[in-house]
Amino acid sequence: MASGVSAQNAETPLDATYRSAATFRSDASEVRMSFSTTDRDDRVIATLQPSDFAIVDHDLVIRDFRSFTLTEYSHIDVTLLVDESGSISPQFRQELASVTRFLAQSGGVPEQSFSILSFRDLKPTVLCQGNCRALDLGAQFPPVSSGGQTPLYDSVVFAARLMGQRSDHHTRKFLVIFSDGADTISLRSFSDAVDSALDNDVAIYTVDVSKAPHVHPGTLILRALAVNTGGRSFSLESGASNVLDAILKDFHATYTVAYKLPSHAAGFHLVRILPTRDLGLQFHCRRGYYYPNPEN
Amino acid sequence: MKRTLLLTVMLCSLAALLSAENRNHQQGTIVRMRMTDCIAPQHAFMSAMSGVQATMAESCPEYVLVTDSVVYVIIGKSSNQLIPLAESTPFHFQNNEVLIRVDDARKESRFHVKEMLLRPEWERNQRILDAADSAAMQRHVNGALLVDADARQ
Repeated sequence: MASGVSAQNAETPLDATYRSAATFRSDASEVRMSFSTTDRDDRVIATLQPSDFAIVDHDLVIRDFRSFTLTEYSHIDVTLLVDESGSISPQFRQELASVTRFLAQSGGVPEQSFSILSFRDLKPTVLCQGNCRALDLGAQFPPVSSGGQTPLYDSVVFAARLMGQRSDHHTRKFLVIFSDGADTISLRSFSDAVDSALDNDVAIYTVDVSKAPHVHPGTLILRALAVNTGGRSFSLESGASNVLDAILKDFHATYTVAYKLPSHAAGFHLVRILPTRDLGLQFHCRRGYYYPNPEN
Repeated sequence: MKRTLLLTVMLCSLAALLSAENRNHQQGTIVRMRMTDCIAPQHAFMSAMSGVQATMAESCPEYVLVTDSVVYVIIGKSSNQLIPLAESTPFHFQNNEVLIRVDDARKESRFHVKEMLLRPEWERNQRILDAADSAAMQRHVNGALLVDADARQ
């Protein structure tokens, strides 16, 4: 999900060398935001027009866009992050079955696009990268989860960085978390996890594996991870096929809008995309971007 | 006869009332939107006027609605009281509140008026904000030049 503030200056070779340091310090004048849209029945909209939405950036309503395009990504990166900690022991077999179904139904997606990571105790483990369909998940995990702490946020940071390192801007990156949303031991915070996903243009999709009858804190954490990064959240009951379906539809119907930077106020610019006519439209995008303090 | 006369008078009054209502319909453009603390309904007008706002835990949408002559800052009564951000928003007043009809809603949405400014005054404030923003941008440009100069040395 490419988005952020871009510079409009002509670039010399020396500038390119220092691009990473200079980009956010130069006359950055444009914001690009990628997003997908669903209707009130949660169906992806592939025929959106620029007049159908407005952007609220730092409270300012923007209706004039410099460009609006249906984004054509050349690659897709889907990384599954599987919680095998003690808190999900009762649902662990169902969780694994859901992951297995997810892989089995992903025939249309290239093999090299998939990775699986699991996490428990102190750190995440990479189970496979690019050869996941051949992986025997049953052999990778014990029959039941044997307990252990839950480093959810640390694992999200690890996965987002891994995805950022191996992909470019032409790759749409989806991190699918199968978890109950409880974190018991991470050194990193929820904000670190979101920031890491935003920095690496990773959209987080979550599958809540908890069986709690009511909405619990973990569910809210999972929803917040999804909402803040432009992803979506699902329950285990909604089915692996629905998750995969949503990912593939978002992959094929991602829009990118560019507009003039409305304010040079330093700090986090909260961004919302809202409808101009149909209030049933839901826009899935990252929650904003950082504009740096000139003193830093 | 009396009953007919009374009915006629009532119908005329209703027509006049509706006509007046229509005359009061205005058009505006929403230029700002944010979520903010809700205003306690029973004290909305008084608290807004006194500058002391009774707040609730819930967040409500606040809009800046610009018309030809007046700029209104209006605030919804609940978090889901969103209105489409179209180029033009029709609205009218009733009992010190702004009423906006959302296309597929049966009833009009009611908004507290938090603040009112004459448009020239609001535009003057905007020019001051724009000047401050330009100064911030200039600082960024100067910072970029310094970084580039350091890099070239």
